[in-house]
Amino acid sequence: MDSTGKSFFFRGSSLTMGESICAAALIPIVAAVDFLFFAAINCFGYRPRPRPKKCLSGFADMIRLADESRFTVNDIEALYDELFKKLSSSIIDDGLIHKEELQLALFQAPKGSNLFLDRVFDLFDEKKNGVIEFEEFVHALDVFHPYAPVEDKIDFAFRLYDLRQTGFIEREEVKQMVIAILMESELNLSDDLLEEIIDKTFADADADKDGRINKEEWKAFVLHNPNLLKNMTLPHLKCITTLFPSFVFNTGVEDL
Amino acid sequence: MNLYKKISVAEFTCPPWLSFSAMKLITRILDPNPMTRITIPEILQDEWFRKDYKPPVFEEKDDTNLDDVEAVFKDSEEHHVTEKRKEQPTTMNAFELISMSKGLNLGKLFDAEQGFKRETRFTSKCPANEIIHKIEEAAKPLGFDVHKKNYKMRLENLKAGRKGNLNVATEIFQVAPSLHMVEVRKAKGDTLEFHKFYKNLSSSLDDVVWKTEEDMKEVK
Repeated sequence: MDSTGKSFFFRGSSLTMGESICAAALIPIVAAVDFLFFAAINCFGYRPRPRPKKCLSGFADMIRLADESRFTVNDIEALYDELFKKLSSSIIDDGLIHKEELQLALFQAPKGSNLFLDRVFDLFDEKKNGVIEFEEFVHALDVFHPYAPVEDKIDFAFRLYDLRQTGFIEREEVKQMVIAILMESELNLSDDLLEEIIDKTFADADADKDGRINKEEWKAFVLHNPNLLKNMTLPHLKCITTLFPSFVFNTGVEDL
Repeated sequence: MNLYKKISVAEFTCPPWLSFSAMKLITRILDPNPMTRITIPEILQDEWFRKDYKPPVFEEKDDTNLDDVEAVFKDSEEHHVTEKRKEQPTTMNAFELISMSKGLNLGKLFDAEQGFKRETRFTSKCPANEIIHKIEEAAKPLGFDVHKKNYKMRLENLKAGRKGNLNVATEIFQVAPSLHMVEVRKAKGDTLEFHKFYKNLSSSLDDVVWKTEEDMKEVK
């Protein structure tokens, strides 16, 4: 009964006065029932999975994403069809990228944990709901575009390394990260050597010698050592559509 | 979609101002049947193509920043950054180390089929001078000319390969006094040839190399 009520409403101008009132009354009732239903669900401690977007709600979304970013509509389409779809279905086929799926793509192994993967995933996941949606994917990748302003890259890198998001990169955080990379590469360094590396880094980066790197110090440090931003640029993003040969034949977008 | 249908049956028209021989060549190229389609060697022989043809010089599309390597070898006043004979190779700072993590290298997402990389690294427990010496010894028999400056080296293949001469740049960084990181990257030339070169090089450097990137991959 509620569905017929709704369809009357949307048919627009052909409604009589009586039908409009009926529909107007019905909608809030339906909404109330919906609300009660979900409230009840929460009472039972059931947390519904984030609603998967099995497909982009069409062309309009792609245009919007293209407008908001440095990508063209064709780029967005290629990113979605050729990259996002594969990544998001590699382990759990729900149109969303889960942490294991990102790990699989970057490390070839879905098991185990990695500090840097956690940070990257966290920064991509704007909504902080544990999954990366296509929109979040595009927003984050936009920073890695060769034409993205260097300030954006500097900022992204800073947030990556600011493990506890305090607005500063503390010495303990740097130590934690160096230990993590050494473990990842299975290199062993004595504690002394570790401290020495960090000392030297802080001597270069920590201008006001307060034991932590703030945004300004980071910016100056990076501008002085531009190779630190090397992995903040993915040259492939300039020519996405040419990376995937099958894209040319599958594209739904008319010739631009 | 219409366009792609036309492409697959080679339905096209040539503008009237196009010369006959140009049109002939284009028709032979746009042949949908790969068996009867003109081949590259045949194109190179085509009369219209050959008119005023100059074989290309391959420019490297640079992803790698080679300014520092260039600067070292140029020796001109403007590029010189007070390079006194260094006692130690450059120390890697903590963030350079950190940025090597696989979790921070998103380029991997685009590597369709493990494409050949343009640069690679290995670690060594040998002293820096010994590493340089060993690389030189390994590269010369492979037909490479070696230029050294401080802890950077430039290896140039004297023979031209598929895309010109293969040039390789290496640089040694110090992670700790007894641990060095050697970066080997392609400066110019064909990536496939670089890959082959590196394979040869690393087998000759067996006693120098402590951990290659392959080893470092096998984590967990």
